[in-house]
Amino acid sequence: MRRRGLTAERTGGDSVRKNKDSGAPRRIGGDERKHSSGGILPLVEAFDVLSFLLLFLKTGSFAALGMAVAVPCALGLLYRLMRRRFYADGLLLALTAFLCSLGLLLQFRFDEGRGWNQALSVLLGMGAMAACILFVRFAKRWTLYAPLMMLGGWGLLLLPVLFGHEINGAKGWLTVGPVTFQPSEAVKLAHLCVTAYLLSRRKLVGAGVFSLGCLALLLLQRDLGTALLYYGVTLVMMYVSTGSLALGGIGLAAGAAGAVYGYTAFSHVKRRVAIWRNPWADPSGAGYQIVQSLIAIANGGLFGVGLGLGNASVIPYYYNDFVFSVLLNEFGGLFGLAVLGIYLLIGMRALMIARRADTVFDALLAVGCGVQMCLQTFVIVGGNIKLIPLTGVTLPLLSYGGTSMISSLCVLGLLQGVAARVEYGLERDRRLAGEGGK
Amino acid sequence: MKQIRNNILRLVPLLTALFVLLGVYGGVSLAVNGGRWFSSSANTYVRRLKKTVTEGSVFDRKGTLLAWSEGEKRLYAADEWTRRGLVHVLGDTEGYVANGVESFMSYYLYGFDQPFSEEAVRYLRGEPKRGDDVHLTVDASLSAYIQQRFPKGYRGCAAVMNYLTGEVLALCSFPSFDPAQGAEQAKGAWGQPFFNRALQGLYAPGSTFKIVTLAAALRNLENAMEREWICTGQLTLNDHLITDAGTDLARQVYVRHGTLDLRRAFAVSCNNTFAMTAVEVGDANLKKTAEDFAVGVNFLFPDLVVENSSYPDKNRTEREIAMTGIGQSALQVTPMHMLLIAASIANDGVMMEPTLLQAVVRPGGDTVRKMESRAFRRTVDAETAAVIRRCMREAVVNGTGSGAGVNGLKVCGKTGSAEIDGQKNTNAWFVGFLEEAGAPYAVCVLVEDAGGGGTAAAPVAGDIFRFLTGNP
Repeated sequence: MRRRGLTAERTGGDSVRKNKDSGAPRRIGGDERKHSSGGILPLVEAFDVLSFLLLFLKTGSFAALGMAVAVPCALGLLYRLMRRRFYADGLLLALTAFLCSLGLLLQFRFDEGRGWNQALSVLLGMGAMAACILFVRFAKRWTLYAPLMMLGGWGLLLLPVLFGHEINGAKGWLTVGPVTFQPSEAVKLAHLCVTAYLLSRRKLVGAGVFSLGCLALLLLQRDLGTALLYYGVTLVMMYVSTGSLALGGIGLAAGAAGAVYGYTAFSHVKRRVAIWRNPWADPSGAGYQIVQSLIAIANGGLFGVGLGLGNASVIPYYYNDFVFSVLLNEFGGLFGLAVLGIYLLIGMRALMIARRADTVFDALLAVGCGVQMCLQTFVIVGGNIKLIPLTGVTLPLLSYGGTSMISSLCVLGLLQGVAARVEYGLERDRRLAGEGGK
Repeated sequence: MKQIRNNILRLVPLLTALFVLLGVYGGVSLAVNGGRWFSSSANTYVRRLKKTVTEGSVFDRKGTLLAWSEGEKRLYAADEWTRRGLVHVLGDTEGYVANGVESFMSYYLYGFDQPFSEEAVRYLRGEPKRGDDVHLTVDASLSAYIQQRFPKGYRGCAAVMNYLTGEVLALCSFPSFDPAQGAEQAKGAWGQPFFNRALQGLYAPGSTFKIVTLAAALRNLENAMEREWICTGQLTLNDHLITDAGTDLARQVYVRHGTLDLRRAFAVSCNNTFAMTAVEVGDANLKKTAEDFAVGVNFLFPDLVVENSSYPDKNRTEREIAMTGIGQSALQVTPMHMLLIAASIANDGVMMEPTLLQAVVRPGGDTVRKMESRAFRRTVDAETAAVIRRCMREAVVNGTGSGAGVNGLKVCGKTGSAEIDGQKNTNAWFVGFLEEAGAPYAVCVLVEDAGGGGTAAAPVAGDIFRFLTGNP
């Protein structure tokens, strides 16, 4: 806690804004910034240039050639913009940029149409991320926002139960006009904010009731993966705010009981578990997806078959639920391990930001965001490699799909918002200290 | 706030553990099962490689060419008996036969083990890629002989291995099909010709399992071989009657062996005695011995995929324990496993790992992999194995297995006649081996729905022993 002594004069959004208006420096020298990306972004850009060029050589697609130029340029611009105008954390930005561009690469490699859609989603998501940063930095009227988000969240989760349609056994999708989306992805954000708010006000029961409501609605949608995610994030946030291992233990026990009940009560859960236990019992039927995923992983081995040379597209939903298997297939197990390391790094960075935060709300929000990213990664990658039964959640930033991409970037936006508050506070402290010294 | 900062710190090991779990599980399962996943017949990637890689050839232990490629076409040995005798070992190119060499060893046949440097040189020279040649431990002429000798019109299988080294010499399943005609034509034919009964078929082992029960008795009962038992021919346990082979219930004629010791009981395959033995040994001890013989153990052999056998665990009444002791109840084993059990008795209680791959040879002629004999597990101690060998010798000299006897050869064995629900005749079994220094071979023969093991299976085994030692 390097900067604990400097936090005394931090007050709130109001004074922050005043300070900015009264001539905060626009340019901030690299050596003054404590948390830069450490030169990671150029590496990310180099990776993008090389990999898209390789894709161009393999397929001859000029879109890939264009992307070899466009992606690094866009990432460079977005990075500068986010750093300078939004006080975002450099390391997090660089890692986000890497995962987003890797996702783009994997989509372009199989289907250009999906590639363009994904590019659009990334751009929209970056905008949403900026909005989230501003929201966290300047929102004050939480007594109004929190109940609104709570009711809105429940309402949104109820909609698919009433009007939704089924994709892969989960009834979590809504169609409005030409757009199909998953409300649970948007409600994730509200869930994080509301839980952090209620827990920071020591309203443990309120937070529990809100989360249980969300869980019940998700189970009605039969979206088990997302329910698991909400459950895990709530449990961790409750533990952090109370420090009570007993509470965590009770929560885990209740979750285990719920899982056992779900297994005995729902036939589709039983089926999933049976497939997980032995997908080879029916390799061309029920177990086909997992079997093909495992085969794709084995084909890749440690070093992968090479970009554009694999045939992981035989896995149903290879482009979203099984994008990690595609990655293991073409880039190999060692690269996959490195990508997992990046998700872990994002989680660790989130914990670091949370520890630097000044308010309980900020700390809880940052923890929630980080844990959610990590847990979601664990649930889907674990499903891909047959560590746990498969549930249909997406791999953040890599999977195809607009809703998922935008919501993942928004979660990172909330985290960046907390980081920006810390960073901006630091900046101002340093400046004040400097002026005092003169 | 300070408390919260500390709590956050405690999440570090939690998150790290999640990812370490992913990485370790992924790495270990790739290392342990990756080869099997890759070689699975469901792997379409391998089949796609055919366009760019010439598949390597397959040879038997004497260097006979079994399968080779000309362009994209796969060709097989000229003799139809040889082709049929090896079809379940080799498998087919379409992947109908599970885990045949053609798919299970595609790692070598398509040259996946060839180093990248060689690949680069070849690419620069513009040479096409050729996979490695695979030399198998099987004997083509023996396989062809078994194919001719096996009773016509029956389902079943026969397997031969060297019990000292674990080398598999023959692995035939019936009915077979001719790969030269294409696997497609055998689809839906009588008796599921694609099914490899020796490795995948789970059967009640019948009286051949008395080898295991005998081992359990030697281990758990005092003076097991000296004691005398009384067979009345009608043993009632839990209101169920246990009788011996040859009993005619309708006419109330019971086969009874009278007073006898375990050696005689084994030789004449007395159900009553072994039922009483199993009950006296007890379920836990019998199960323990069965586990030592690898019942319920996961077979992860590098060269062969063998279905796992299982010991029954439901409804363990005295009668069920007795029925397990004579190889019935819900006991399920593969013929390959029974062969391994008999072979371990021959090899002083050491079960060797069955091997199929003798050598892998690069296109340049370098041998890159050679077979190594490895012990799989110890089943019984050497003295127990010697006692069981004497009993198995007795069964062939003066017992139910006499059909397998060959003049001038020390044949040991055990017959089995397993009752199967919904089947008119019993499944005929024979497992045995030669106790000869120059011919360390073990044999397992199973003829389904054919009657007694002594009449339907033992003579086939006898002829295989004759062929192996060259005195037909």
